[in-house]
This record gives sequence, structure tokens and C-alpha cells, in this order.
Amino acid sequence: MSQNRWLATGNFYTTYREEQRTFSTHLDRTIFTLFLVLLFAWPMFFDLGNKYMFVVDNILIAIVAVMGLNLVTGFAGLISIGHAAFVGIGAYTVASVCRTMGTSHELVTHFWPLLIVLSGLMGAIFGGLVGLPAFRLKHLYLAIATLSFQMIFQWVINFMTFFNQGQTISIGRVYWITGKVGRGDHYEFWYYAILVIVILLGFGIRNLLKTKYGRALVAVRDNDRAADAMGMHPGLTKVYAFALAGFFAGVAGALHAYVFRGVGFESFTLHESVSYLAMAIVGGLGTLNGSFWGPVAIRMLDLQVEHLSEAAASYLPQGTNLATASKPLTFGLVIVLFLMFEPRGIANWWRITKSYTKLWPFRY
Amino acid sequence: MKETRMVRGLMVLVLLVFAVSAHAGEVYKLGFSGAITGPTSDAGNPLSKGIEDWFKYVNDTKMLGDDKIECTIRDDQYKTDVTKRNFEEYLDEGIVFYLNYSTGSTLGLKMDFEEEMMPTVPSSYHEGNLVNSNYIFIPVATYSENMVALAEYVTKNHKGGTPKVALFIHPSAFGRGPVDDTKKAVAAGLDMDIVEVVEHGKDLDNSAMLKRLMSKGVQYVICHTVQSPVATMLKDAMRLNVNAKSFGEEGKLTFLGAHYTGGADLIALAGDAAEGFLWTCSYNLTTEDNEKSKKQLELAKKYGRDDKAANSHNYAAGILQAQIPTEAILRAKKAGLEVNPENLTKMLNDMANGFDSFATVGPVTYSKDDHVGVDVVNIYKADGGVFKAINSIESEYMKKLRAGM
Amino acid sequence: MVYFFQIVVSGIVVGSIYALAALGLVLVYKSSRVANFAHGQIIAAGAFITYFLTVDLGVPIFFSFLASMVITFFLAMSVERIFLRRLIGEPIISVIMVTIGLASIIDGLIYLTPFGTENFSFPAFLPTTPLTIAGVSISWTQLVGVIITFILIGGFSWFFKKSTVGISMRAVSDDQFGSMSVGISVPRVFGLAWATAGLSAAAAGCIIGNITGLNFDTLHAFGIVVFPVVILGGLDSIMGAVVAGIIMGLIQQFATGYLDGNWGLNGTGDVAPYIVLLIILLFKPHGLFGIHEIERV
Repeated sequence: MSQNRWLATGNFYTTYREEQRTFSTHLDRTIFTLFLVLLFAWPMFFDLGNKYMFVVDNILIAIVAVMGLNLVTGFAGLISIGHAAFVGIGAYTVASVCRTMGTSHELVTHFWPLLIVLSGLMGAIFGGLVGLPAFRLKHLYLAIATLSFQMIFQWVINFMTFFNQGQTISIGRVYWITGKVGRGDHYEFWYYAILVIVILLGFGIRNLLKTKYGRALVAVRDNDRAADAMGMHPGLTKVYAFALAGFFAGVAGALHAYVFRGVGFESFTLHESVSYLAMAIVGGLGTLNGSFWGPVAIRMLDLQVEHLSEAAASYLPQGTNLATASKPLTFGLVIVLFLMFEPRGIANWWRITKSYTKLWPFRY
Repeated sequence: MKETRMVRGLMVLVLLVFAVSAHAGEVYKLGFSGAITGPTSDAGNPLSKGIEDWFKYVNDTKMLGDDKIECTIRDDQYKTDVTKRNFEEYLDEGIVFYLNYSTGSTLGLKMDFEEEMMPTVPSSYHEGNLVNSNYIFIPVATYSENMVALAEYVTKNHKGGTPKVALFIHPSAFGRGPVDDTKKAVAAGLDMDIVEVVEHGKDLDNSAMLKRLMSKGVQYVICHTVQSPVATMLKDAMRLNVNAKSFGEEGKLTFLGAHYTGGADLIALAGDAAEGFLWTCSYNLTTEDNEKSKKQLELAKKYGRDDKAANSHNYAAGILQAQIPTEAILRAKKAGLEVNPENLTKMLNDMANGFDSFATVGPVTYSKDDHVGVDVVNIYKADGGVFKAINSIESEYMKKLRAGM
Repeated sequence: MVYFFQIVVSGIVVGSIYALAALGLVLVYKSSRVANFAHGQIIAAGAFITYFLTVDLGVPIFFSFLASMVITFFLAMSVERIFLRRLIGEPIISVIMVTIGLASIIDGLIYLTPFGTENFSFPAFLPTTPLTIAGVSISWTQLVGVIITFILIGGFSWFFKKSTVGISMRAVSDDQFGSMSVGISVPRVFGLAWATAGLSAAAAGCIIGNITGLNFDTLHAFGIVVFPVVILGGLDSIMGAVVAGIIMGLIQQFATGYLDGNWGLNGTGDVAPYIVLLIILLFKPHGLFGIHEIERV
């Protein structure tokens, strides 16, 4: 019975190897593959227009960043209120190459995958550095240490002429095998590029969590003293969690720089850090698929509220105040309501749906 | 009974169809994206109201005949990401002219304006907007022009020797931009000594800074930032009794400020401490109580704006920002050209014989090399709780600097 | 030398205002272990309520000051009742995010009023001529601010030390289960902690509003600015907040007074507290006066 690799009504694992499989049934794998094919295929059939393609790109970038945040805050339990600053480190890595070598230097336009990885590494280095206080600090004190990093980052960018004092630093258009990626294809091109990166990183996390390094993160979150007693080094694990999160953030930052074709400090403020946290929470902390749900939910909410309040403003003559108040209002309400009524986030709904369909038509 | 109602309904329907078809002029789409909430929204909010009201007015008074302007107004909360999204959407919708807001987003989207060849009027009067740009049209004198004009005013009216000046600026590129130009003006021969450039923080107390300036013999402080820090500084200056009672008083500090430092908001924040503050602005203030300001107040009244918005110079800024594309469309129509971004840019580039706006103190002119609309600035002085015009100047040194560029 | 003393005095003045703004954070954290990121918004709300009562309704400023403290008292209490009571026992990240969410909600509500975007200032009610002693000057607004700060802080210290309610609040912060077993209503204590925090926030809002003028962005930023202060002082110590507030005020004033304008540096006053904070935390992970928690597996 357990040999039916297509359908399973429950868990029949007999070895750890079986339990650690990425897809528990062939059906799962097939559905997932089909879903991936769909993700790659749909832009060929629907034309979303630049605006919405841009929104989609933005969501994907946020997914990369939130995956990192989920590693450090969700899996390792270390609150980071400075994630946007790490994203900024990545973006400014690309920007500083542009500053020193010119906006359309070959390194920027042709070797962009290399630069994206480099940005990730820079993010990781800074992540590790900022994580150093984690050797001694805990809980809220650590959270405020990351907040300090956010503030110092903003000050440095705003102050240094090398970074154009926070003003936009332009980034040239990239080349692909087919030649220069023009304006018409820009957002679609980056959709595919980021999608590939998201898939790679997603599998990366999935597999990481099966190794001892991944389990160490969770162990340190649940009880770092117990983890210590079991032979892990909580301090190092925390620093490495920060470095890992920094890597994801750095990659997201580089992508942000390329998609926006410019880096300005407004995109990496405290408010953005808070947004990333909100995405992680709404999606579901400590889950991989939560990193996908969260950004989609928050970004779409933002967009829909904008549309709705605009519609409302056309009915109310003096509606501008309402229209502008509704964004922070709904953003706050969504966070608060999720925490009050569904603290495990959208990922929990996904889990429930999955287990329901697995057992259907039986209830348990 | 029932039938008559049906007939009547049909008649109304027919009438409606006719009415619609009779009015079927062209609709020109425009877009504005600005900080209606969030940072700097105290300026952005009335500004967006000005834009909205002017386009309503254009449509209601049939200024363009049967044609209409449809301007979408979006809040970007001062975030460049959102501005970019809005801009992309406007492009998809096929706008003919774009209105932008912040310095950050104007610089950030500059490359897009170039590629799209989209004429743009920003609310940011940053000199740097003009660098490597062919499609950005600044409505009024730039921040640098404001600051240099103030410096020139100081040198002209200062008695005895070289005036010692400190610059009090916003800790960002927005604040620092004009500093370089002022320094260049000094290098070009402006007789002034810049003793110190102060970048303020979120200070609750400026005593340390003011005392330091006093000890260095500074007599004038030229500010380029937003109102709130200036208000705090002015209050501290009054407390320390170092503020000059008259212009250039010996051993005291005279405070002057460029565009965003002054206005009714400054008086609202600083109260009595604002007395004597000199402020440059290219907009006509309603406190001047002239023909121009009456028109502004009428417009505000027509669309039910409250007094605060109606009297704000940012409301005037919004009106002007909307008037520029309106004028370009009018001229394009007059010349029998199709209303599209290319032709509107052309119209603006040929606007040497400018137009007069009731929102500003001088005519709005553009040419191929001059993408700054109103070149004149008024110097206003805070006197008895209102700003009153005392002078009107055009910066000489900025012209020299631009020519030398 | 006068320059030096002026900076010291300014630092102390600014520092005690920080201390007052920080007090609310400490009060909430002390009893309920919640870091309140919406504190800045409550500060702003307090200031706006006072302004509204004084200017739009014509209440004398002294009474509207008291009234706004009462209003924020109940406002903060109801915030606790509606939003935070459900989260007792949830992980720290949830609690932090709830307060961030709350901050966003209050932002939205304030944007519905004119206060969200426009600038106002309190009518002057104190003499505008400053007090000058040996060349060092201090304004009446600042002086009154400092006095109110010390009255409030003294009051709260007494309250925690001597009154029954205060002692029960301390008991709850020490051991929730233990205090329940001796008949203390823990939820009531939490509500009260929030309420007193709201009260102190209104006071802070009025004082800051008097100094800077009423601008929403400036006011709510204080909620974040005071975080280094509370962390430095140790999150659960009122005395720590006062000392750390003054230290931070001094650091800031000395940074602006001596660093800015030299070596091409500028705006160091904003960032110096965070740098000092990071350094101090490396040596004293619980701040200067925070209580070391004993952790067990």
C-alpha cells in the first residue's frame, strides 16, 4: 500500500530517506512540474502590459528577499528589522560597480549573473557582520541592534558622495544572447531571470533544511541552550543565519537594481524592512511556501487598495484624504488581523487545503 | 400610464446618446504621481489639489473646446518604486504629458523620460534634473537659483566688508545640490564668505549649532530644507536672542531661506519667531491680495477647498504645474498639430514668448536651452504673521554658471 | 567654555525629553514584555488632541493638556484590550509586529484628519524671553518640559515603589504565574501599564510639539528615535530610561556641537546614538540597567 507512489492517504514512511523526499508522491511532483511549466508559459499567452509585469517582477524580488528573512526570522527565530538595508547592500554593490566603471560597462551589462552572485556575497558578508552581536544579544535587544544597522546604513548612503548621496544611480540595460534587452522586453526578460533564481533558491532552502545546518537553525530558535548542549554552536549558527539571509537579500537587491535600472536609497528604508517583515508574517513564518504567499498578498493588497480608494474618491468629492489614509490603514489591519486570528499565516491555509485534498473524500 | 413612462424613458435615452455624441471631443490623458501622503506631504497634498482643480477648471470652462483633459492623480508616498509603477501604467494608458513630484523619482526616472521622449514637469526644482535631460521642464526657478539669489541679495544689501554666511541644509541630496552652486557662484566672484555648511538632523535643540555660528562671526544663515527644522532653529534663535531685528543687524543672525523653507507653514510652526525671515519663492502669495491671487482664491472656492489649501503656495505650484501642459496643448492645437508627447515637447521648446500665470510672479518661458519656466523670484519677508513681497530678482550668477557649463 | 556648558544644558534638556518619551515604552515593557512600536503614533495623537481641544474648542491649554492625557490613557487602554490581550504568550515577533501594525493603523486614522499632512503650532502660553544664567540660556518651554518630565518620572517611580497597584505591576513583570496565584489580575495590570504609557506619551507629545511645532512626520519619528534610549537604559528600568535619555541627549548635542562641520562630517547627531548603542550592547547585552534574565532549558 505504501508502495503506491502516486496517491497516498497518509504517511507510510519506513526510512528517513523517504521522509526527506521533496515530493512525497509522484502526483505532487507532477502537479509541481505542471505549475512550473505554467509559470514559464503564461507570459507568452497573456500580455499584462508593462505596469503589471513590473508589479509581478516586484513580487518576485520581494519573494527572494522574504525567503532570506524567513531563514533568519522564521527558521532561526532572530528578529531582523534591518532587512531592507541588506537588500540595499546588494543593490549598492551593483551601483558601485556602475559608479566606478561606468553605467554601461560590460561587467554590468554582459556579466550580470556574476554581479548578482557578487551582490549576494556582499550581502552575506554584511549579514555576518551585523549578526556578530548575536553572540551576546538576544530577543528584543538583538532586534534593536538590527534596527541600528538600518539607521547607520541609511545615514552612510545619504552622506557619502560615492553613493551619490542617496540619489538615483543609473544602471545600464543588460544583454542576453539575443542582444540588448530593450524597453519592450525589459520586464518580461527579468520575469524569467528572477523566476529561475527564485526556483533555484527555493530548492536551495528546501534542501538546506534537510541537512544538519538547516536543522541547527530550527534547534537554535526553539531553544539555544538545549542546542548548545547537543553540540551546536548557537552563536556561530546565528551569525551564519544572518549571513545566509544577507545573501538572499543581496541577490534581491541586485535584481531590484537591474529591474528598476537605478538605485536610490528610498527603496531601502525602515518602512521597507517593516514591509518585508509583514510579508513574512502574513505568508507564515518558518515555512518555505509562506515566503511566496506573503509578498503576493501584501503587494496585491497594496495595489487593490489603491484602485478601490481611487474608485471611492470619484464618488466622494473630498475623498483624497480617505484615499490616502486607506493604504496604511489596510496594511496595518492586515498585519494585526493575521496575527490575531491566523498567526501561522497563509501557509497554514495551504497546509489545511493540502491535507484536506490528500484525504478527500474522507475527513480524517 | 405605463406606456408614457416608457416613451419618456426612451426620449431621455435618445437625448443622452445625442448629448454624449455631441460632446465627443478628444480626451488627452495625463498622469501625476506625487507624495499626497508620507514624507513632504504637507507640500504634496495641496499641490495635488491645485493640479486636480486646474484640470477640472479647464474641462468645465471648455478651455480646449470639446476636447478634455483627463489627468490621473496617484499617491506614491514619496517612494520611487511606486512612482515608477505609476509611470509605467500611465505609459500603458497612453499619456501625452507627465507630471512628477519628488527629486528622487525625477532623477530616478530621468532615463525613462529620455527613452520614452515624454515631456515631464516635476515639482522638484532641483538643478540636477536638467543634467543630461531633454524632456524635463522645471516650472519655476531652481533651488540653486533661489539660494544664489538670496546670496546675491545678501551681498548687495550687506554693509561693511564681506558678509559671513552659513548654509543650513537638509541632510540629503535635495539639500546639498544648491550648496555646490552657491560655492561656484562665490568662486565666480560673488563677494561672500561661506563659513560653514550645516546639515541638520532631527534636533530638538539648536543652541549648540547657533552658538557655534555666532562664535565664528556668521551674520547670515541661508536655509535650504523644509519648514519644520527651520522653525525649530528660529525658535531657538529667538530664545538665545541672536536673531536680527532688522536685516544684517550687527552681531546677530539674519535668517533667509529658499523655496521649501517658508510660507504659511513656517509661520504656523514657528509663530512669532518667524518674524523677519526672508524667503524666496516664484509663486504669487495670496497675502499679496492682488488680481492674481483673487483668481487663485476663486478657483479654490469653485472646487470647495478650505482656506488653508486655497492660500497655500503649494496649491499655486500645483496650478502652475497643470497650466504648463494645458498651455502646450493649446498651442499644439492652435498650430494644427496632433497632441502627442513629441509635439508637446516641441511646443514647450518654442515657448520663448511665454505665458502669464496667475500662480507665479513672472512669465513662464522655455526654450531649447532653457528648461526653467519662471526665472524671477520674489523675496518675501515675514512681517506681522504674513509673508510680504519686498523685492523681485533674477539671479545673475546662476545665468553665468549655466552659460559656463 | 560657555559653549561647552550650553551644549551640556541643551543635552540635558533634550535628554530629559527623550526620557519622557521613552518612559511609555519602559512602562509597557516592564509589565507586559511588549516593545511598543506604535508609541510614536500615540505621542503624535496626544499632541494633536491637545491642539484640537485648545484651538478648535477653546479649552485653556492647561486643561486640554490634562484632558489629552486622560484621553490617551483610555485610548491606550482600549488598544491593549482589543489588540494585545489576545496575544499574551505569543512569540515576541508577533507582539512586535502587532504594534507595528497598530502604528500603521493609527497612521491611517490620523491621515483621515487634517493633522496627517498639515503643520500647526501651539499658541504661545509661556514667556518667550529665555532664562539666561551666566550666558547659558534655556527657554521656558524647555524648562517646563524638563519639570514636567521629572514630575512624571518621580511620580511613576513612587507609584511603582509604594502603591499597591504599582507593586502588583512589578510583581507581574517578575513572575506572571506567581502573581496570579496571589490574586493579581494580570490582564488588568497590562491594561493599566498601557494606559499609563499612553498618559506619558501625551505629555511627551505636548512638550515635543511645543518645541518643534506640530508636524505628524516629526512627531511620530520620536517613537523610533527613543528606541536606542530605552535599549541603552535597559528595557525595564525607569531610572535607566532617565540616565540613558540624558546620556543620549548629551551624545547627540556633543556630536552636533563638536563633530559637525569638522572633518567634513554632518548630521552626526542622528546616527551617533545608534553607533554608541551598538558598542555598549556588545559589552552590556542588557543595557546599562536592564535585568539579566536567567534562562533555563
